[in-house]
Formats: sequence, structure tokens, C-alpha cells
Amino acid sequence: MGTLSYEFSVEKDDFERAGEASSKIKKILMQLGMDSSIIRRVAIGAYEAEMNLVIHSLGGTIRIDIDPKSIVITAEDIGPGIEDIELAMKEGYSTATEKIREMGFGAGMGLPNMKKCSDVFEIESEVGKGTKIVMKMYLKDGD
Amino acid sequence: MSNELNHSVILREDKCIGCTGCLKICPTEAIRVRDGKANIISERCIDCGECISICPNHAKSAITDDLSLLKKFRYKIAIPSLTIYGQFPSNIGMNQILASIKSMGFDEVVEGRIGADISICLIKEYLLKNKKERFPLINSNCPAIIRLIQIRFPDLIPNIIDIETPIEIAARIAKKNVSEKTGLDIKDIGVFFITPCTARVTSIRHPIGITKSYIDGAISMKDVYGEIVRNLGDSSTPDLGERSKASLLWPIAGGQAAALDIDNYLAVDGIHQVIKVFEELELGKLEDVDFIECSACVGGCVGGPLVIQNPFIAKNRIMKYLRKVDETKCTKEDMDNYIEMYKNGFIRMTEKILPKPVMMLDKDITRSIQKLELVTEILKNLPGLDCGICGSPTCRAFAEDIVNGVNKKAICMIKTMNGFKNKNI
Repeated sequence: MGTLSYEFSVEKDDFERAGEASSKIKKILMQLGMDSSIIRRVAIGAYEAEMNLVIHSLGGTIRIDIDPKSIVITAEDIGPGIEDIELAMKEGYSTATEKIREMGFGAGMGLPNMKKCSDVFEIESEVGKGTKIVMKMYLKDGD
Repeated sequence: MSNELNHSVILREDKCIGCTGCLKICPTEAIRVRDGKANIISERCIDCGECISICPNHAKSAITDDLSLLKKFRYKIAIPSLTIYGQFPSNIGMNQILASIKSMGFDEVVEGRIGADISICLIKEYLLKNKKERFPLINSNCPAIIRLIQIRFPDLIPNIIDIETPIEIAARIAKKNVSEKTGLDIKDIGVFFITPCTARVTSIRHPIGITKSYIDGAISMKDVYGEIVRNLGDSSTPDLGERSKASLLWPIAGGQAAALDIDNYLAVDGIHQVIKVFEELELGKLEDVDFIECSACVGGCVGGPLVIQNPFIAKNRIMKYLRKVDETKCTKEDMDNYIEMYKNGFIRMTEKILPKPVMMLDKDITRSIQKLELVTEILKNLPGLDCGICGSPTCRAFAEDIVNGVNKKAICMIKTMNGFKNKNI
């Protein structure tokens, strides 16, 4: 009871709509009357996840589950999967092409930033299958 | 009535025909059409004046002060908005215009120039060099933008520059000077702003960032334009008045950035464009930018709802003057003086700007979640055309109004119509 869920699909290479899901999530949280600091964390976490789906994945979904105690963002894609998660989590490490880097993306901060925004951060990935990221943020008193 | 007390933008019911023109243009979804007339939801209205500009029936209007208010003061000062430079043909000199304004019953007319000069110097030499500030800095002079931030982008409040608007600075300095010169108490000196801006009118009555404005009244530029023109004296040599580059550029979109002479900035005009940029900024996309100059009105303040001249013509005139004006010089002594005025709070927004969470569904988060669930459920059954015929700006707003219990007679015309169609088949 009392859990609100939304799911947004994110397409590979759809730079035009990139950020749309995060903006919608942000609006939902504002309507719920949450504090701007938690909204910022969720929005940035969701945005990084959304950009990762656009740049690196073959497509996937961003899901948000909200209850009065916590917010969970789940980003799931259908591939290609991450070979070395530990390496991918290192700040500055990126497999993005030169072209994408020139556009200002792929700075190798996506995953580290997502971790920074979350209270609980989980990542699992299988090459050839896909990646699943779960970010959990707890609402404190006053949020 | 509370609306009239708190806002300058009002609805003239006799002229409203209940069309939906203003519904969708409103950036905070503050308008509903109920019983055939537009209503403004007071706590959501940011007085941007978009609805005034779009209404084909002139049913939206602005409450400003009139000249009779002058009687309350022993010494009366007029400060015309910096947009005044673009409102008259270039064969009319600035001193002529100022003299004409003075003849409406003022003891003195002060140009807003000093405020623009101080503000530009401080932003350039002080704030932009202070790495403790939260970048990008956002200009503080557009009151509609400040209120938009309070309502829709509270996370950006720390980015707002805490220097008062040029007109407020000019008013403070003018009052202080007159008080020293005449020995009059500050209370007996009245400062009147000749305004192109509805949002500024509200900010004078209900200031944000300061406890009380030094401006005592706001007179609509539209209201007194005719009088200024009628009283214009002859002058064979049009003069340039006391203008500086910063003050000429200030009311034009991108003008502040130009006066600052910086590269790493965005100049955004038109409130709907500002919203798009703020959405990106909130996602952390624009943190490498130094300064974002925002103006709710297209073209900058020269596009304000209470100006006379088309903003493009106004800009053209101002740019012509600009070629004849030298760079604003800011000596070390001036700069120290400005920093002192900033530090001691004389020209600074000393009060905290607070978020205004008027978009929230309920104060209690559990109930908020339940309400949003209901909104989502109702939305599934709506056509999603956002036509506005129901009187709410979008299908989503329609659903929210039902959930909040503020629209008891809610009917979706499209749904009803489709219902009839299906029956006929």
C-alpha cells in the first residue's frame, strides 16, 4: 500500500529525448512535496542512468518506486552488459567514443555519480544480457 | 479581493469571454476557466504578465499606482525604468523626457543608471571572481523569474545573485541623498518607479529578499506615456542624459552579459525558454556556465507588459545610443565603495528567498502519494489532448483539480462527445 510507481522507456541513441524521464520524475517528486535536496539527488541519479541508457545500452527502462520512506530508481537495459564492473565504477573511466566525449558526454562519471546520489547502490551486469542498476534514497524527516 | 491586494495582474471579468487563450500560456498553471470566466489562482501567480500580453479581449490588466499617491509625500522622486531609453524617437533628448516626467508633479527625476553600473561592477569584479558562489549565477532583477524559481525550481535559489535590482539601488541612494540634502525624514520622501513590468509592481508591495522596498509606488509606463509626450518641451540639441553602457544595455535581453563583457554565459528571454533552460540546469547539465541572464519577457525588460514601444524598435533605438556612449569606468575607489555597500546590506538582498511549494498535492507525504495515485488513475481515462475546454490547462491539471476537490463540476467534453459517438454506432 502507498507505493507509487512509474516506468519510462529509454531508447538507444535518442539524444533528443534524453533527460525527459528525469524531468518527469522531478516534477512528480515536487508535486509530492519533497524537499529540494532529495529531489536534486533523485533527479541527478535518474538523469545519469538515463544518459547511460542512451549512450551505452541497446535500450531499456527507468523505473521509480516511491513510498513515504524511500525512493527507488531502477534502470534496466537489454544489453550489451558491462565486462568489468569494478573498472566501470572508477571515476573517469569510460568506454564512450571520442565523438560522444566531444559532445560533452561520457566523462566516466555516470556510475560514480549515481553511487554518490544514493544511500544504497546496486549494480549487476551480464555481458550479452544487460545491466540492472538499483539506486535507493531514504527520505529523512523533513524531506 | 485578496488577489487584487497581492498581485498586480488582475482579471477584468466584464471583458473576459471565457476563451482558453491565457490558460496554456501561464507558466505556473495558475489560470482556470470556471463558469465562463478566467480565474487566477493567487498563490500560483508570479505576475509575469504573459496572460495580459496574450488576451485578445484585454480582459487581463495590471493594477498600478496613480499619481494621486504623490500627495502623501513632501518630496517626490521619479525613477523611470531603464527601458525609457527605447520608448521615444531619437530626436527627443533624454533631459527633455526627464523634464517632462518631472512636470507631472515630482521634485526630482533620478535615472536608474547608478544602479545598473553598481550591479554590473559588483557582478563582474566581485561575484564572478568569488569561487564560493554557486555557479552559474542567475540575475536577480527579473521578479517573475525569482518567483518562478521559488515555485518550480527551488533548488536554484542559491544561484540567484543577491544584489538588489538597479531601480531599488537607485531608489536607496536617491532617498539617502535627498534626506542629507534637505534634512527631510526618509518617510517623507516618496520614490515612484515608472514601470514597464507587472511583476515589479508586486515586488514593490511584497518584496522578495528584502524586508521593505525603498520604492513607494509603481506607475505604469503605459498610463503616463501620453502625459510625458504632451509635456515634452522643445530642444534643438537632443542630449544623452546621464547614460552609461551598463544602463543602456541592462533592459535588453543579453545586455547584462554584454555589459559584463564575459563569454561563458547564457542569455535566455521568454519565460517558457527560461523554464527549458532551468530544467537542464536542475539536472546538473550547465554547471560549467558562469552566468545565466534570464528575462521573463521576450526581448528583455523592453518587452514588458506595460511598455509602449515594440521591443525590437526599442532595442534598435537603444543600440543607436549605445554607440555614442563610453565604457563605464569603475575606479578602485568606486569599487571599494560598492563592495562596502554590498557587504553592509545597503544594496543587497539580505533576506532568505524561500521555496513556495504551491504545486504540491498535500502537506502529508502519504496523502500526497495517494492523491497522485488517483491523479494517475483518472488520467488513464482522459483523452490527453490538453485542449483546455474543461477550463483546466491540461488533462493532468484537470485530474489534479478533481483530486484536490476544487473542481466539483468537472466535465471532459471530449470524453462526453466520444461517448455520444459510440452510442450512435
